[in-house]
Amino acid sequence: MTAPINMAGSRTARYRYMTWVWRAVAIAFAVVTVFPVYWMVQSAFEPNSDITSLTPNFFPLHLTFHNFSDAVNHTAGVGTAYFLDDARNSVIVVTSATAITLVFGFLAAAAVSRFRLRGASAFLVLILVVQMVPGTALIIPVFLMLNNLHLIDNYLGLILVYAATTLPFTVWALRGFVRGVPIELEEAAMVDGATRFGAFRRILLPLVLPGVISAGVFAFITSWNDFLAADVIMQQNNHQTLPVWLYSFTTNTGTDYGGLMAGCTIMALPVVIIFLLVQRRLVSGLTAGAVKG
Amino acid sequence: MVAPSVPDLAPARTGRPILGAPSYNRRNPRSSWRRALRRQLLPLLFLLPSVGLISFLTLYPLGRLIATSFQNLGAFQLVQHKVVWDGLENYRTIFASGGGLGTSILQTALFVLACVSLTMAVGTGVALLLGRIGKVLRTVVTVCMLFAWAMPTSAAAIVWTWLFQQEYGVVNSMLTSLGFNFSNHNWFGSEIGAYSIIVANIVWGAVPFVSLMMYSALTLVPRDLYEAAAVDGASAAITFRKVTMPIVRPIFVLMTVLSIIWDANVFNQVWYLTQGNAQLLNVVPLGVWQYIEAFSSTQYGLGAAVAVIMILLLVAVTGYYIRLMVRTGQIRAEAKA
Repeated sequence: MTAPINMAGSRTARYRYMTWVWRAVAIAFAVVTVFPVYWMVQSAFEPNSDITSLTPNFFPLHLTFHNFSDAVNHTAGVGTAYFLDDARNSVIVVTSATAITLVFGFLAAAAVSRFRLRGASAFLVLILVVQMVPGTALIIPVFLMLNNLHLIDNYLGLILVYAATTLPFTVWALRGFVRGVPIELEEAAMVDGATRFGAFRRILLPLVLPGVISAGVFAFITSWNDFLAADVIMQQNNHQTLPVWLYSFTTNTGTDYGGLMAGCTIMALPVVIIFLLVQRRLVSGLTAGAVKG
Repeated sequence: MVAPSVPDLAPARTGRPILGAPSYNRRNPRSSWRRALRRQLLPLLFLLPSVGLISFLTLYPLGRLIATSFQNLGAFQLVQHKVVWDGLENYRTIFASGGGLGTSILQTALFVLACVSLTMAVGTGVALLLGRIGKVLRTVVTVCMLFAWAMPTSAAAIVWTWLFQQEYGVVNSMLTSLGFNFSNHNWFGSEIGAYSIIVANIVWGAVPFVSLMMYSALTLVPRDLYEAAAVDGASAAITFRKVTMPIVRPIFVLMTVLSIIWDANVFNQVWYLTQGNAQLLNVVPLGVWQYIEAFSSTQYGLGAAVAVIMILLLVAVTGYYIRLMVRTGQIRAEAKA
């Protein structure tokens, strides 16, 4: 992280008193922020008898994995457990969509920031306007269109929808990173005989890799979270993704909160792991892209 | 990173001319339009996939959405592949539905206002707070925020239904042990209660992103400006308004615009927190309403009309900021070459 902002240097009694107030506020905020996540995990490992007690335990007394097997094997009231199918679908669809959006986004970002291109401003305004068009509003015509193209209940349909949804932000963010790399580096490579495309691949791409990673994490999470498009486009139970699976869990089991929390934990786990892995790059990367605007 | 190699003095070997050297191997060096095309060809090729995908899955559907909003399109017409133009009938139905549209717009506006103002206020406050605490504590707070940020909205919303559950929810039991009688309180029994939880859930999920972005914007403010302000005896509020804000304003505006767009389109949180029975709320945000009309009642035309109204409102609200960003040069094609 970057250096702290020192607001005022005067070490008066009031200043020291305020420092303690700020620390207390920060701790309270951190507890409130992390508590729902903690509570999810702790309920997921708690036996049902402890969950349905009127005085909740703030620390798990008896650990159990029972809820997880419940969640994975629950049948959504239709007789078959779809967890494995839906988890596989989620992984396939979301990683493909993220890969597509990153490749397309990087090419577009390089095009608008590295060439004198007529219509580049128009493209950027388009990107910004498109970002304003709500995905929820477009789901009706997208459904009708994919229905005509026989892409309903098809991986490709959902992959393209996710790639298109995440592309505007990806272009916007990557453009910030590309601007941050001095063009002289690529020019030097081209003097040495690299082609324009070679210079992008060998010079620019490695340098904007942190940006590519943070934009990729964003695209991944957006698609991983989506309920609406998956629910509308994938219609059979074994074609759906994890958010839809989780939803069927909620409406069909009603009160099995232990299993429900286990399901939530499974769904959140990949994202949390990715976040913790790229944590440092995510924050510094995103701001480098955005603050330079 | 690949280090640039030593300049190659024998261009013939690579078959490519050195920049600036006469290019003998171009087929027709005099044809300027062809050169212009060559210059534009590569970037255009680079743009093509993005433009294609966006046209195919955003612009074309947008046109189709507007067309659908003037059609009577239900499950029957969809199966029969019939196009029944209906004029303004869908819009008339919406405007005539007992003031349903007016209250839904008002309610969506209030809802977005509550979410965005709370998110920005808390987010900026936390960003300022991060600058006033030590490095260790700051790391702890950041990690806690990363956990909240990483939570998928669907999972988070379900976790919140458990936190606020009527009989065994931890919030009711904590509030009761603090001396307020909340035992068996049904948060989702009243519209105001349900909306408070939806708003709180959205703000909780959005604050980490906003405050981390705002914090790194704050680190851009030169420290000597604060020292100068302190020497001049400026209060904390004045320093924030006159020193901090002018520098972080672009990112603040960007975060606000993004929050407005995201919160106006919220679907997951409303849907999961009401466990799919969003109709239980008397008034639902427009984004949820159009989904219910289209897919629960299979009246695609009616849903499309609601969606068109939603987009128009969103453009009206954020258009000003987009123009502001264009004018302040945040949108500009830049090429140093």
